[in-house]
Order: sequence, then C-alpha cells, then structure tokens
Amino acid sequence: MEVISGLKTEKKKFSYFGKGSEFAVIYLKNIVLTVLTIGLYYPWAKVELLKYHYQSTALDQNRFTFHGTGKEVFRGFIKLYAVIVVLYALVLYALQTQNTVVLGFAMATFYLFFILLIPFAIHGAARYRASRSSWKGIYFKYLGDRMELFWKCVTGALLTIVTLGLYGSWFSVDIRKYVISHLRFGNLSFDFKGKGETLFWINLKFVFLFYLTLGIYSFWYFKELWSFYADNTEITQDGKKVNFRFTMQPGDIFELMIVNFFLIAFTFGLATPWVAVRTFKFIFRFLEIEEGLDTDSIQQVKYDNYDDAAGDDFLDILDIDLV
Amino acid sequence: MAFNATYFDGNSSKSHSVEIYPNYSSWRISFSDSILPKQDINWQVNDIKKSEVYTKDIVVFTYGKDFPFQRIESADIDFIDYINNSNNDLLSTKVDVVLHKSVGRSILILVFAIIAFAIGMYFYVIPTIAVGFAKNLPSKSVISFGDYVYRTLSPTLTIDNKQSEKLQDFVDALTIQSEFPIDIKVATSDDLNAFALSGGKIVVFSSLLEKIQNENQLAALIGHEISHIENRHVLKSVSRNLSSAIFISIIFGDVNGVTAILGENAHLFSQLSYSRSLEKEADIFGLELLRNNNLDLHGMPELFQILKDESLVDIPAYLSNHPILQDRIQYTSEIAETQKSFTENTLLKEKWVLLKKELQQNIEEQKTEIDE
Repeated sequence: MEVISGLKTEKKKFSYFGKGSEFAVIYLKNIVLTVLTIGLYYPWAKVELLKYHYQSTALDQNRFTFHGTGKEVFRGFIKLYAVIVVLYALVLYALQTQNTVVLGFAMATFYLFFILLIPFAIHGAARYRASRSSWKGIYFKYLGDRMELFWKCVTGALLTIVTLGLYGSWFSVDIRKYVISHLRFGNLSFDFKGKGETLFWINLKFVFLFYLTLGIYSFWYFKELWSFYADNTEITQDGKKVNFRFTMQPGDIFELMIVNFFLIAFTFGLATPWVAVRTFKFIFRFLEIEEGLDTDSIQQVKYDNYDDAAGDDFLDILDIDLV
Repeated sequence: MAFNATYFDGNSSKSHSVEIYPNYSSWRISFSDSILPKQDINWQVNDIKKSEVYTKDIVVFTYGKDFPFQRIESADIDFIDYINNSNNDLLSTKVDVVLHKSVGRSILILVFAIIAFAIGMYFYVIPTIAVGFAKNLPSKSVISFGDYVYRTLSPTLTIDNKQSEKLQDFVDALTIQSEFPIDIKVATSDDLNAFALSGGKIVVFSSLLEKIQNENQLAALIGHEISHIENRHVLKSVSRNLSSAIFISIIFGDVNGVTAILGENAHLFSQLSYSRSLEKEADIFGLELLRNNNLDLHGMPELFQILKDESLVDIPAYLSNHPILQDRIQYTSEIAETQKSFTENTLLKEKWVLLKKELQQNIEEQKTEIDE
C-alpha cells in the first residue's frame, strides 16, 4: 500500500447499528397499516423497512440512504398487476372455452411470459435500487443494457436445461458478473471475478457432503458461497483495484442460523424484526473492503433518475432479492 | 445554538465537519474543518428532505431541488432532540417520534392492535362477508352447489324411491312460495333425522317419517326444512363455518387448502346444526306454511313432542337438546293457539293417507321378511 498522508485508504469496515426493539416498532407499525388498508399500504411499508436498514448501515462512519418512495413502488405494483390481470384474464378465458388446445396455449403463454419477465425485472430492479441508493452523497448507478441481459438469461437458461442443470453455476456467475460490472458508484466501478467452475465445485461439494454429514456441512457451504461472492467482488478507483472480504467462519454461521431458528420457532414469528436486525449485524460485522480505497475522493457522476420500481416489485412478488 | 454534523456537497465523497445554526425558515451551515476559510451555506427549510425513517442515534437530511444533492448526517444528541421536538413536518414525523419515545409500550400496543384486528376479522368481518356472499349468490349456483353436496352424500344414503314419490306428491300439493324447486327424498335409516340441502333438496329418514302421525306434523317438518332452503341457512352456516378456515389458509398462504376444506366437509352437511335464531326463524316459517295450507298449527309442537319423547330413549342427531326442544314446543304452541277456524285441506289429507299406506306396507313387508 502506498502511504500518502491525508488519504483515507485504510481497511474499511461495515457495521450495522439497527436495534431489534426500534426496528420492531417500525415493522409492527407497517403491519398494522398494511392490514388496515387491506394491503394497499404495502409499498410504503416496504420502502420504510428498506430505509431503516440502509440508514442503520455504516461504512467508514457514514450511513447509507435509500431514496425510493412509496409512491414509486406503488406505481410499480400497479403496472405489474395490470400485466398479471391480463395474463389471468387470458387463462380464465381459455378455461371457459373448455378447449384443451386453447387452454394449453394460454397456460404456456402465461408461464412463458412470467419467466421471460424475470430478466427485465432484474434489470429494472438493479437500475431502480442503484439510482435510489447513496452514501456520502454519492449515488449508485446501473448501466446494464436490458436486451443484452435478456439474451444472456435466455441462452443461459436454455443451456442449463440442456445440461440438466449442470450449467446453472456458470449461468448464475455470468448474470452476477453482468449486473455487478455494470454498477457504478460515482466514479468507482465494480467487477465480479468469480468463475463458474469455482461455484460449480462449491455446489458439487455441497451436494455430496450435505448427506454424508447429515446437513452439518451447510455451515461450511454458506461460508464458501458468501466468501466466493464477496471476495470476488472488486472495486476500481482510478485504475486501482480493491476487493471485498467476507471473514465469517462456519462457527459464526452456525451461531447465526441456530439462534435465528430458535428465536422464530419459540416466539411464533414475533421475533422476526429482532432476527432481521441480528442477521444484518452479523453479516456486516464480517464484511469489509481491503485497504487501498480512498473513500474521501469519490467523484459524483451523472445522476440516473430512474423511478420505475416495477422490476423491483416483480422480484418482490417472486421473493427474489438482489445482492 | 449550534449543532455538529457531517456535510457532503454532493460532488465528492469528502466529508466536512460543520456546525448547523438552525432557524425557523433556514439553516446556516458553517464549516469548522477547512484549512482555508470556506463560506457558510444556507439551506431553506422548505427544500430540506428528511430521510423518512426513524433511527434513534442519527438524523440524515438531503437538500436541493436539482442534482447533485447536498447531505447532512448528525449524531449530535442535541440536534436529534431539536429535530424530534420540531413541529415542522418537513423535518420530523410526529407519529414516529411518539412511537419511539417508549419502545416497549409501542410494541405492546402494536402487537395488541394486530391481534385485535385479527380477532375482529376472524369473528366478525370474515363471517359477515361469507354470509353476505351466501345471501347474494345466484340461485343457479346455489342449486349446483346443493347438487354437488348431494352427489357426494348419496353413496351413504339408501333412497326409497316409492316412498320418495309419495312424499313428493304430498309436497307438490302444498302451497309453497319458493325460490327453489323442492325435491324431497326418503332415505332408509334408523336415525331420527331430516335435513335440507342448498337449492331445494330435502332428505327425510324413514324412521322419523314412521313416527309422524298426521299431515299437520309432516307439513310442519317440511315447512321447517323448506325455510332452511329458502333462507339459505345451509349455505350461510357453511360459509360462516368454513370462512374462518378459509381465512386461516389464506393467511398462511395455502390457497389449495380452500378447495380441500370444501371437499373434506361434505359429510358434515347432513348433520349441520344451526344457531338458535336460525332454527326459530325456520319454525316460524313452518307455522306460516301450515297456516297458508289450512293445516292445524299444532302439528309443529306435536312434532317436537315426538322428537322429545324419542330422544329420551336415544339421542338423535337431529335436535338433541332438551331445553331447546321444550322451549320450541312452548313458543310454537303459543302461536298455534292464535289460529282461528279454518277449512280442512282435504287434498293434503288424501296425499297423507296414500303416503301412510305406503309406509304401513313397507313396515309389514319388513316384518314378514324378518319372520321368514
């Protein structure tokens, strides 16, 4: 490391300052509002929870901020439901004709459309989340191309089917690399250097050892997997590269998961907010950025004011979360 | 009054230590760390954006109409207090400040609110919606629902076609104003039972029919059952009973459970018990039917007396509760006493005699079978 005085280039640690009871108030308040409005409040609830986690997360003593609004997320849901209603109407119409060919065609369209929406949703979600996230006043930005990602997904999915799932690891790495390498933070860029074969071996080992060890291997698996994701993520600042590091050990993962499990099981789910906070605290405690990144000289670049949350909402419905 | 904060200008990630001098309409931000003296900045309160989420130890604000946006973060307790006590909605959300004042109490209140809401839904809103649904379902759907239940039940019923025909003749001779065509069946059984299904089907068990002594009692029984059909009691009870189960499976995201619930409960339709008020409604309706058909209203209390006497020996599935039965004998008798003179309905009498003959024959046949 080059030592230049005045540069903030030491190792950067993440920390999460959320508190279980504080988050519980926000979490429960949003449940009350969501049920009272028969679900209509959900977009605002989702945004407030996100804002809480962002504002509770610090890197280098500064907090992250999520700038999305309930209105944007709500508009996204409206768009999405319009599409879903049309698809359902198609299937209902086909059911009425009682013609198996028409019904088969409608069902195929329904599922195909749903699956083909996923790459667009990933694109939309990445772009929305990025454009609405900031730290130290600098905004993220996603520069990926919608159609490029779409064709990547189509070929990747087809190859995965043809190889009976074997290609899955390469597919997943490919998509991750595409999304991360098109992410910007001010004048910083990112890249994912992980290889499909590495993930493939991690997964293969898991398949074999999971049964041999009666599931105990899972903790080592998660350690390997998360380290694979973090350690291969690279930040470039003015031509200089630094890596993320994930230092959690299998024992930590064991502690995290077992305690979470008992917390949920013995409180009939009432401990959910405490579990969420505990999980974030754990994960961020072990996540760091290698020394070399100067967090005081990141320059803002053009702002991507992308307010379409439909993609993010679609992933929400499918229960997929980016990152 | 000055508060400490960290300031970002939006162009670079460089953090600046600043002092904030807040005013009613603007904040003056003064740089305390610059080697070179830097000019103060003014934020107009109307253009300040709060972070819209409460975290106890930190407040964050962004500023500016156009990109790049400036930003302030502060962990200064005095500043946080100042913000929390501010009456300006642009700076703090009162509800959140109140909720976070006493976290434990807020959690208790919110959990209580959620539980109260769930209980309200479970015991009041959902059943009301279900009953409303039952009330407004088109007749065609009610009939096909009844047919579905009857098809499911029929393998367990031994229908006596001859008796059914005679009983149907009797029903056809009654003056009934009904939304649904009444289709009555006699099933061979030792149970003292009769039940109605949605959409017009009534099943009377043979042993109950044998105990009935005259056309008034029979018409009372039929009138009572028709009321269940007319007022959609079956559908209402089923919807009410199952709505909660359906609600629970929806809450737990198990939508497939809904169809399973209907299927699994088909066997319950023959033993549905109605609430007291629904039974009373049916009794009154039955009495009205007797009156309209020039029959003796005493048929109703007599019918209950028969059931009461029989149930001393063997508690039947149908109306097994003595105090309730006694109560019903009482109020139906009182109404029966108010009946004025009426001309005898000879047609119904005739039909009854034919039916009774068929029943008699049946009993004798059975006897000879046993003797042989």
